[in-house]
Amino acid sequence: MNLAKLRPGETGKITKIGAVGPLKRRLMDMGVLVGEEVRVEKVAPLGDPIEITVKNYKLSLRKSEAEGIAVEVRP
Amino acid sequence: MKGLALKISPAAETQKIITVAVAGNPNAGKSTLINAIAGTRLQVGNWPGVTVEKKEAVFDFGGRKIKLVDLPGTYSLSPYTEEERIARDYLIHENPDLIINVIDATNLERNLYLTMQLLELGIPVVAALNIYDEAENKGYRINTQAIEKFLGARVVPTVATKKRGLEELLAAVVAVGDNPQAHQPRALHYGEDIEAAAQEVEQEIKKLPALADRYPSRWLALKLMEGDRQVLQELHLGGNEAFSGKAVRHLRQAHGEDVEALMADARYGQAAGLTQEILKKTEKQRIEITERIDRVVLNRFFGIPIFLAAMWLVFKLTFDVSSPFADWMDKSINGPFKRWAEALLTLISAPDWLVSLATDGVIAGVGFVIVFIPVIFAMMFFITLLEASGYMARAAFVMDRAMHAMGLHGKSFIPLLLGFGCNVPAIYATRTLENPRDKALTALLVPLMSCGARLPVYVVFVGVFFAAYSGTVIWSLYVLGLVLAVLMGILFKKTIFRGEYPMFIMELPPYRLPGMRSLLIHTWEKGKHFLIKAGTYIFAVSVLTWFLLNLPWGVENKRDSYLGQAGAVVAPALQPLGFGNWEAAASLITGVIAKEIVVGTMGEIYTPKAKEERKEDGPTLGQDLKEMGFSFLAAGKEAFLNVFASFGSAKFSTEEKEKTRPLKMMIQNKFTPLSAYAFMAFVLLYMPCMVVAVAFRHEFGSWKWFGVALAYGTALAWLVSFTIFQGGKFLGLGG
Repeated sequence: MNLAKLRPGETGKITKIGAVGPLKRRLMDMGVLVGEEVRVEKVAPLGDPIEITVKNYKLSLRKSEAEGIAVEVRP
Repeated sequence: MKGLALKISPAAETQKIITVAVAGNPNAGKSTLINAIAGTRLQVGNWPGVTVEKKEAVFDFGGRKIKLVDLPGTYSLSPYTEEERIARDYLIHENPDLIINVIDATNLERNLYLTMQLLELGIPVVAALNIYDEAENKGYRINTQAIEKFLGARVVPTVATKKRGLEELLAAVVAVGDNPQAHQPRALHYGEDIEAAAQEVEQEIKKLPALADRYPSRWLALKLMEGDRQVLQELHLGGNEAFSGKAVRHLRQAHGEDVEALMADARYGQAAGLTQEILKKTEKQRIEITERIDRVVLNRFFGIPIFLAAMWLVFKLTFDVSSPFADWMDKSINGPFKRWAEALLTLISAPDWLVSLATDGVIAGVGFVIVFIPVIFAMMFFITLLEASGYMARAAFVMDRAMHAMGLHGKSFIPLLLGFGCNVPAIYATRTLENPRDKALTALLVPLMSCGARLPVYVVFVGVFFAAYSGTVIWSLYVLGLVLAVLMGILFKKTIFRGEYPMFIMELPPYRLPGMRSLLIHTWEKGKHFLIKAGTYIFAVSVLTWFLLNLPWGVENKRDSYLGQAGAVVAPALQPLGFGNWEAAASLITGVIAKEIVVGTMGEIYTPKAKEERKEDGPTLGQDLKEMGFSFLAAGKEAFLNVFASFGSAKFSTEEKEKTRPLKMMIQNKFTPLSAYAFMAFVLLYMPCMVVAVAFRHEFGSWKWFGVALAYGTALAWLVSFTIFQGGKFLGLGG
């Protein structure tokens, strides 16, 4: 399961960040870390990007960027 | 925390200056804080070699001289954007005496992540817990003393928008600046394994004075261990083996391959631990205002209509509010001001050429610069408002999908939209894009947006040839520009910018009401900057154009002026496009100053008027001043009314003006409907006007991107006009 596949309102725990290089670095700097809980808030009206809550703030990223983030869905 | 009035005395006797770098996350209220402290004392310049703004202020406080240096907002000292690199470079290489770390008190954990990295530098830190009122309203209780103890740094709650806590903040700066030794930041402990490795690497670094002098050693050790790209690049290292090989191998054995992630975890671990310790939330189960607004603004169905309505409003307000003032400035300068300068020069019996140079060259040049001031100010104001309120990020979120298809970023929409009003503020508006690649690509497409100055050209030609469907034909030109922008965007994405994939990791900050003072200061700074930087170039080019138009001095026939000669040289290249005569070519050349001039030049060439005798009794100086005063008030009233009229429909007048009739007769003789349409397409696409050129130079710091815009614009103009004219002829539309 990856973050891009979560539906709005669903929460997941990050198990792996598959991205590499600057993208991975930036994600980590923004608090997107393994073990972190993320909640998908919204999908943009045209279907991309998505808005998530992480570390108690709102972050948006493209689905292509979210695909590399593996998550475990939380009930 | 009290709402003390700031007492900053003007600079006094010479003494040691305390240099303070102001650093913080984007959206933490850093600009507002700096504006509140330093206000108009801020000096705005550029960081060396780049076009990112550098703001500094020197002032006296508590008997000390303090120099504030505003660093661009940053999330991390491993930079991603150019702005972040500047902030990082300054902190590492310029050795400020201390750092004011502006922290958003409503978003502690992520803000403290940067704080952890600042502490690694070993520079004393004073933390401003900004937006403290909002945190209190959210029911947050923050134990500032516990933060001070944990960080080994002074912590002061502030509310920059209400000027609260600033006096205390500066007092803390002075206390720390006076005795930096007593305020060394605590070295945070990132766990046994990391620390052991870091110490080992630090020892290696200290053996090399070339490194130890250039970087804070602990910071460098940590960056080498995580394989920081910027550091490796600066040291010309392919990897981190040279310094940290053994230490890192050991870390990897214990913690897995990814040291970079390990370090990020360690820092965030400290930030999270600290946040848990100092922050008590009294559970107020209420839906926050940001969430309420976003439910509507980012809604699947309403999101795009709301966005379009907001953009339309910004567009209308930018151009409708500024245009009466621009007209007023234009009229005042080209009317009374010019008249009196002329009278004065004639009085001292200056030769004709000097009078002409002074009025048509110099004063008109100044006029060119000045008429842009209202629109630049208005645009800067609204862009700043969009950014400071938090809506800009939403706009990018809503539009990104569509913009991304042509290789752009969600935020690219706004510069492109402004381009329909005027390309100049549009080029400046690209500064909202952080990534240099997104910014350059957006700016390259801006000239394809048909600006207001091209409309007068269309209106004249459409009035002559397509009066029955004027609206449709003009609309088709706007659409032509848009379609070409999409195509060129995709082409550029696959050629010049191939292989670059900028990311879209963007914070959606809470909505906030921006402080009016801060907004106005920001707008003023930008406007002033434009006036000084761009103004000089524009002025020089206008004077140069005067020479082209009027030399050799005393030419009777415009055909013989340098401009006419240039037109004759260019004309054959335009032959296949259907308008290969020197008049059209010369008009296009002057259109480089501003596209609406194309019509003016044609008027002058086609309908030469007898040199009019100067009127005997013009208005007196007093009458002129009075008239200027009245018309300024009228402009203000019109601007005000336009705000409301914005809700009505746009006016599009192709009405016949008496004075353009002879010109229209001539155009009818020289053009056919087909060549007229090709000509209009050419005017839409060929080189952007000189003010756009200057804006490119100013915004990008070099002529490179303007060169690209010029080259592809001219090529595209020729190809499209050629296709229209030759294709039309082939289809039997007449030539």
